[in-house]
Amino acid sequence: MLFDTTQLALERSIEGAGKRHEALAANLANANTPGYQRVDVDFHGALASAMGRGEESREALHSVSFSPAQDASAGAVRADGSTVDVDAESAKLAANALEHQAAVQVAHARIGILKSAMGVG
Amino acid sequence: MSLFGGLDISASALTAERLRMDVVAENLANAQTTRGADGNPYRRKEVVLQERAGSSFGASLSAAMGGGNSKGAGVEVAGIVEDQTPLKRVYDPGHPDADADGYVSMPNVDTVAEMVDLIGAQRAYEANVTAMQAAKSMFSKTLELLR
Repeated sequence: MLFDTTQLALERSIEGAGKRHEALAANLANANTPGYQRVDVDFHGALASAMGRGEESREALHSVSFSPAQDASAGAVRADGSTVDVDAESAKLAANALEHQAAVQVAHARIGILKSAMGVG
Repeated sequence: MSLFGGLDISASALTAERLRMDVVAENLANAQTTRGADGNPYRRKEVVLQERAGSSFGASLSAAMGGGNSKGAGVEVAGIVEDQTPLKRVYDPGHPDADADGYVSMPNVDTVAEMVDLIGAQRAYEANVTAMQAAKSMFSKTLELLR
């Protein structure tokens, strides 16, 4: 098998970070929408539970889906009931972009290792 | 959907925040207007924002293919409404629009509140530009996988 479970997990985490970015961007877009409830994508949790399935983790990783969910734990930060804190969202957005970058770089390095093993790198 | 979804979402917010700035500018420009389009004194306008439902083709497609629900498609302008708070009554008997008692109904525009709204819209705009830049750098990093 050319690509192992780790490579698959890295690809899925790149995808998950992309989805999470969409959710966080939607929160920032609705920073001035009265009563808006912030959404988030827990791709760490989804990937962790897929990785913990032992032998079946490969299939689990293939079928894992990332969907945005309303964050019920967030308290209202504005008088209109909105739960979007622009500073917190910006911080999460920046952290998520770095996580995405880290996953891409590790995936890139692993592809580079494969390439040099094949004598094309 | 996924590749440029983040950019679309941020772009919808840029449009909405820019319209808020336009409306604030209109309110400030008409802060002293006693004859609006309908002949009455100008009333302060306010932009109402709402969450945009994922009705685009891409959102429908990804929902149909089981790619999660189509939540979080950005923001849209629900409408521009007139502020129905009472108009300011200013004593100015020489004004052509003064009533029998010498009072003029001036627009219910509070310039200080408008400036605060302007700064809020500007900061929100900047936050969404930052989100757009983050999305852009994420896409270009992903493309580096091909090199």
